[in-house]
Amino acid sequence: MLKVTNLSKSFRSGDTTVKAVDDVTFSLETGSFVSLVGPSGSGKSTLLAILGALEKPSGGSVEVDGQDISELGDSGLTKYRAKNVGFVFQNYNLIPNLSAVENVMLPMEFAGLPSKSRLARAQELLDSVGITDDKQLRKPSRLSGGEQQRVAIARALANNPKIILADEPTGNLDSQTGKMVFRLLQDLAKKQNTTVIVATHDLEIAGKTNAKLSLSDGKLKRSK
Amino acid sequence: MSAFSRGVRNAFRNKVRTFSVVLILGLSIGLALAMLLAHQAVTQKIDTVKSSVGNTITVSPAGFRGFSGGGNPLTQSDIDKIENTPHVVAISETLTDRLTSDQTNLQSSITAGSLGQRFSVSGGGGSASFGGEAPTDFTPPVMVIGTNDPTNLSSAGGGTFKLTNGQVFSPTSKDNVAIIGSALASKNNLSVGSTFTAYNTTIKVVGIFDGGNTFADAQLIMPLATVQTLSGQAGDITSAVVTVDSVDNLDSTTTAIKNTLGTAADVTNDQTRTQDTIDSLQNIQSISLYSLIGAVIAGSVIIFLTMLMIVRERRTEIGVTKAIGASNFKVMWQFMVEAMTLTLLAAVAGIIIGVVAADPITKTLVNNASTTSSTVSTGGGMFTQRFSGGGIAVGGGPSTSGAGPTFVARGRGFGAVRSNITNIHAAVGWSILVYGLAAALLIALIGSAIASWSIAKVRPAEVMRAS
Repeated sequence: MLKVTNLSKSFRSGDTTVKAVDDVTFSLETGSFVSLVGPSGSGKSTLLAILGALEKPSGGSVEVDGQDISELGDSGLTKYRAKNVGFVFQNYNLIPNLSAVENVMLPMEFAGLPSKSRLARAQELLDSVGITDDKQLRKPSRLSGGEQQRVAIARALANNPKIILADEPTGNLDSQTGKMVFRLLQDLAKKQNTTVIVATHDLEIAGKTNAKLSLSDGKLKRSK
Repeated sequence: MSAFSRGVRNAFRNKVRTFSVVLILGLSIGLALAMLLAHQAVTQKIDTVKSSVGNTITVSPAGFRGFSGGGNPLTQSDIDKIENTPHVVAISETLTDRLTSDQTNLQSSITAGSLGQRFSVSGGGGSASFGGEAPTDFTPPVMVIGTNDPTNLSSAGGGTFKLTNGQVFSPTSKDNVAIIGSALASKNNLSVGSTFTAYNTTIKVVGIFDGGNTFADAQLIMPLATVQTLSGQAGDITSAVVTVDSVDNLDSTTTAIKNTLGTAADVTNDQTRTQDTIDSLQNIQSISLYSLIGAVIAGSVIIFLTMLMIVRERRTEIGVTKAIGASNFKVMWQFMVEAMTLTLLAAVAGIIIGVVAADPITKTLVNNASTTSSTVSTGGGMFTQRFSGGGIAVGGGPSTSGAGPTFVARGRGFGAVRSNITNIHAAVGWSILVYGLAAALLIALIGSAIASWSIAKVRPAEVMRAS
């Protein structure tokens, strides 16, 4: 279970302090498929960064299955990310000189998975997202945008994370491919019982999620 | 795939950049290696030259330079002062003279030739100017050296004297005896036990030596006291070779003797005479050292800037890697391996460049420096070089005394030193290669450490936001 309580994050911008996330409270059951919507600058990315242990909050707490990650130090956050969080980015952000399968193996190495089991697990994940064997050995530049995003999703799943955070995962894809990637994330949430939070501008996609978190000026306006 | 193998693979990610960096860094490492080898070769050469310099000091009358000089001979009082100087352990005294045809029945084994004929006018004490009309019946005089150190013929007569027959006389001998050069003996049909006339006195041949060259072989060596008495130069000395207890005390003792004798004598040691040449080698030593340091710094700067550029270029990638769980150390290690891979490749190229270039660079530096040194040196090098052969010229004068055979020795010895110095070789040993590789790795670590440190400052959240 993900429990966010009175979460806030402030930044200094010149002489003024900007509250990117302002007193946000919500909770999600494990395996939820949730959209996070809001205009640009509403605090979506900052909230995702805090939930993904990339940033420390200025106040409040984030509990994942009873563990308060806002209390962790830098080293603790790194270990937490490696084992419990998967990221999917708008620009895919695959490592360009590694093949698809090597990209998927990367988080396993950081999580300390034995090297022998990494390859089999990575191939299995790529198979599950529809990347064929011959494409698994290709570098990202030789894959289409949709294929790259599917590899990114496989990478996010590498360590069986408790949460997958996807920031505009369909933003660079055509509508057909975007729908396919969205369905993939939706299936994963169901099958693997992983909490998936998708930040998006696409209200059509947002409408198909189990829950919707709407942010405006850092405040959580409503949720369904 | 580990961070190590990713680092190695990343080194070849941009082939054009890899080639450029390896080439530039390779040149830098090659230059550093060449300079290291040159420095080592020159240092060894300097040590060799220094170790070949004896612990002796030569004292001669001020202005005494054979027929080109003058001055008054050293006296027993001067010798006593030298003897009382600290660190002096022995003095080999010589008095040189020349026997003209009316003073001896010996005939010189040296043919006068055109040089002898010419110098008989200018150098022989005649009144005609150099190049004036030469007597056509001129016979070169016979050189005679009086010494109190007959067991060390080289110090008495210079050159590579070796007794081939008979025996030497006692150092304190006052007998009318002589050891003579092999050419002189042959010319006058003399052997051990034969006699000849000099200073209107019958002299007995007790030994025959090989002087190593035509001029030395034409000389005659007699007891110092005998020459002083027979030539009417009682107590006079034209050269003293002073032995010092240690090379370390050579300079201080030379200075002490100079201070004691004042302007009456020229006091030199081998160190002084070789200093000009050693100076040029020391210049090369300094140049190679500074070039070595410069090349190492340049190499470090090259790898530092390269890695800084790479880190900045891959900022997003670093952020992503950290976001998916990589620790700072793991990312830094990956970049350090990349830097080491580039540096090792450059080291291989640099070693090849260095090994090929070291010897020609060293020889060019030494030859240039040696040429410069020869051109600018005056009293020691050029004089002795030119006038060592000038022993022949000296031989032309019928009446002027004081041709210094020690100059022959100096000229040959110093010329040999100079020749030996240019014969330098920058050798490449395994230890140098190992040190070179170790230095290259050190360059890589230093050069990449700062760049890698900037990785630790990359905040993944900022990178995510920017992308």
